[in-house]
Amino acid sequence: MNKVHFQSEEELVMAIRQGDERALGIVYKTYFPMILHFITHNTGTEQEAKDIYQEAMMIFYENMHDPDFELSCKVKTYVYSVSRRLWLKKLTQRNKYVGKIDDFESFIPFVKDEVDPEEQDAQFKAMNEALSQLGEPCRTILEDFFINDFSMQQITDKMGYTNTDNAKNQKYKCLMRLKKIFFSKYQI
Amino acid sequence: MITQEIQEQIESYVAEKMPAAEKASFEKMMQQDKHLAEAVRQHQVMVNSFATFSRRTKLKKQFDSFHKEWKEESKEQPFIYTYGVRAFWRNHMTTVAVAASVAVITVFSTIFMTNYLRSLEHQQVSNYAELKKENNHIKKRLSDISASLQQDVTTAADYAASATGFMISPNGYIVTNRHVVSGADEVYVESTNYENIRQRYKAKVIHKDQKLDLALLKISDSTFKPLAYMPYALNTRETDLGESVYTLAYPREDIVYGDGAISAHTGNDGDTSKYQISVPVNPGNSGAPLLDAKGNLVGIVTGKNPNEDGAAFAIKSKHLFTLVQEIPADSLLEPLTLPRKNYMHYLRRPDQIKKLQGLVFNVKVYKK
Repeated sequence: MNKVHFQSEEELVMAIRQGDERALGIVYKTYFPMILHFITHNTGTEQEAKDIYQEAMMIFYENMHDPDFELSCKVKTYVYSVSRRLWLKKLTQRNKYVGKIDDFESFIPFVKDEVDPEEQDAQFKAMNEALSQLGEPCRTILEDFFINDFSMQQITDKMGYTNTDNAKNQKYKCLMRLKKIFFSKYQI
Repeated sequence: MITQEIQEQIESYVAEKMPAAEKASFEKMMQQDKHLAEAVRQHQVMVNSFATFSRRTKLKKQFDSFHKEWKEESKEQPFIYTYGVRAFWRNHMTTVAVAASVAVITVFSTIFMTNYLRSLEHQQVSNYAELKKENNHIKKRLSDISASLQQDVTTAADYAASATGFMISPNGYIVTNRHVVSGADEVYVESTNYENIRQRYKAKVIHKDQKLDLALLKISDSTFKPLAYMPYALNTRETDLGESVYTLAYPREDIVYGDGAISAHTGNDGDTSKYQISVPVNPGNSGAPLLDAKGNLVGIVTGKNPNEDGAAFAIKSKHLFTLVQEIPADSLLEPLTLPRKNYMHYLRRPDQIKKLQGLVFNVKVYKK
């Protein structure tokens, strides 16, 4: 990836909101050292820093694509604050939190969780297991239909079915199976 | 059951692709049919989590590729490390500084102290001689003599060291210097009273005090009969300068009398636990009792300064008193009472010596 410069932070944020991968990559690579430093100085490892950072970036990304979300501070501060909060949570879960964190940046304390991670996590895990049990070609068909918004004709052509009815039938079966597995793992 | 046809309706309703007219009738159906409503809701949840899942997996893949790029770039320009080192220094500078200064202080003080102590030790050795009579040179001389005379006389002296000790309680406790019995495997005590009756007992080391250089022995021989009383008394007060004192000791096989006076209230290098005395002493005098004119025990002879004439040292008797107090009761085989009543203060000195003679022992130390 070539170096791309954005004139200002507003421009960068705008680019991310529009789904510019390069802008996201710049943010990712610019602030990872900061988080790596923060976590390794608070009893973490490099791998843990990567996991926490990616989780924080996920939250950042999702919030940026939420039209109601307003970024009230610098991207750097936001990423740091989210990572910090996630790391604190992890330390508390492990009973390793001793009441003191070495900070290297200013941060905004979050009063409530920006997202509801418990429910999201459960959904995420259930879907991951369901999809791996479902296997191919069902996964590709469902992804093309629900995510990539392919028409049934496109799917028929792509997967090599003789006609759209066959494809529709196949998609129906796949969806029913996925539903069954998913709800056996995830109770609502 | 949900047929394929209904399922497609649900899908288009959830995806909001249903024509308006059809949508109205479908919503009416949902209100009437609970199962249909539930199926719609479930479909919605599943499609949502499916979308989240695939979006996140895609994003995760993207992040991983960013991470890989970052790793490669940071390898080219390892700014992360300089950042890390600088920040490390900034955060831990005080700790490091304290640790380093402690290390420096420890190292130099250790070097200084060990050198200082070593030099001190030399000084002590040169200015102070313990009066234990080492038998090695005698042995050597004896063997030389025996070789020249073609006679076998070595059996007479096969002990490693000899010095003096004296009894401090009627049931057979004997005091001597610690340096006399250090490294001893067996200890025997011998005395000859004024009627020239010789006694020899096996003794056991009960207690040693490194600081005071005192040792407590106990006669462990079955042939020993406890005495009725001790003729002398232990003086716990400090004796005045110039007070006339005398000692009885075994610098050789016969008991030797020596007299003089208290010359100073401190011993070698200002050691306040000792007196300096002007009594002529020789190796073998270690552990000899020091008595005043009335026959009160005022000290225990311990050493001399080889560089100064007539400068010998004796441990003050009050330390013997504190030593006895400090010995744990369970390490004593029999109760130990120090003599507090003097039965010989009215006697002339030769008569005092007659009384004491049997209580002063030649301590012989054997090493295997």
